[in-house]
Amino acid sequence: MLGTLRKQLKSHPALIPLLFFIGGGAAMSMGYLARLALRNPDVCWDKKNNPEPWTKMDPTHQYKFYAINVDYSKLKKQGPDF
Amino acid sequence: MSGQSISQHPLRVDTKERILPEPTEDTSRNLPRLAAVSLNVRLKLIKMADTVETKIQNYRTAPFDARFPNTNQTRNCYQNYLDFHRCTKALSAKDQDVAPCDWYQRVYKSLCPTSWVGRWDDQIEGGSFAGKI
Repeated sequence: MLGTLRKQLKSHPALIPLLFFIGGGAAMSMGYLARLALRNPDVCWDKKNNPEPWTKMDPTHQYKFYAINVDYSKLKKQGPDF
Repeated sequence: MSGQSISQHPLRVDTKERILPEPTEDTSRNLPRLAAVSLNVRLKLIKMADTVETKIQNYRTAPFDARFPNTNQTRNCYQNYLDFHRCTKALSAKDQDVAPCDWYQRVYKSLCPTSWVGRWDDQIEGGSFAGKI
């Protein structure tokens, strides 16, 4: 497959930017899906040992990329411990 | 108990702030070390209950929770509902005052639709509630 790809690229070099953009787009989508699967606190992989992973989060943990109004360093755990 | 390492337990006793007076030379009034520590923990519990009580008195609405930063607050509502019932169950099992759990009740009453709360309460009474309490 790579052999035919290389031959086609040699005869039509204008296709190289196309590869970059499509490859980049696919990498970004896969990267976002991986971030959602591994970093999102809503996701539960192990129901037996870690059923509610969002309860173990640090109250200053920032998940969103860009926080406009919220100063994450000042947040504290609110409810009482039990 | 050395003051070098600070444990991360939520009810940690901060050995830098002295709640009990310094141990004196009079050995007859020295509390045994274990009793002194549990007294400190009890005082810390009372202080924590006081701060929660002031927080409940000054309550306006559910504060921002970093665990649920998105627009969909369904899980926030459900988690506080679960936490309220777990808190009352845990504290009444330990024979402590259940009043600090009211924080969770105020938060879920602010967030949850009343139909959901009614349905979950009926399920709890009927024994068919799906959540782990």
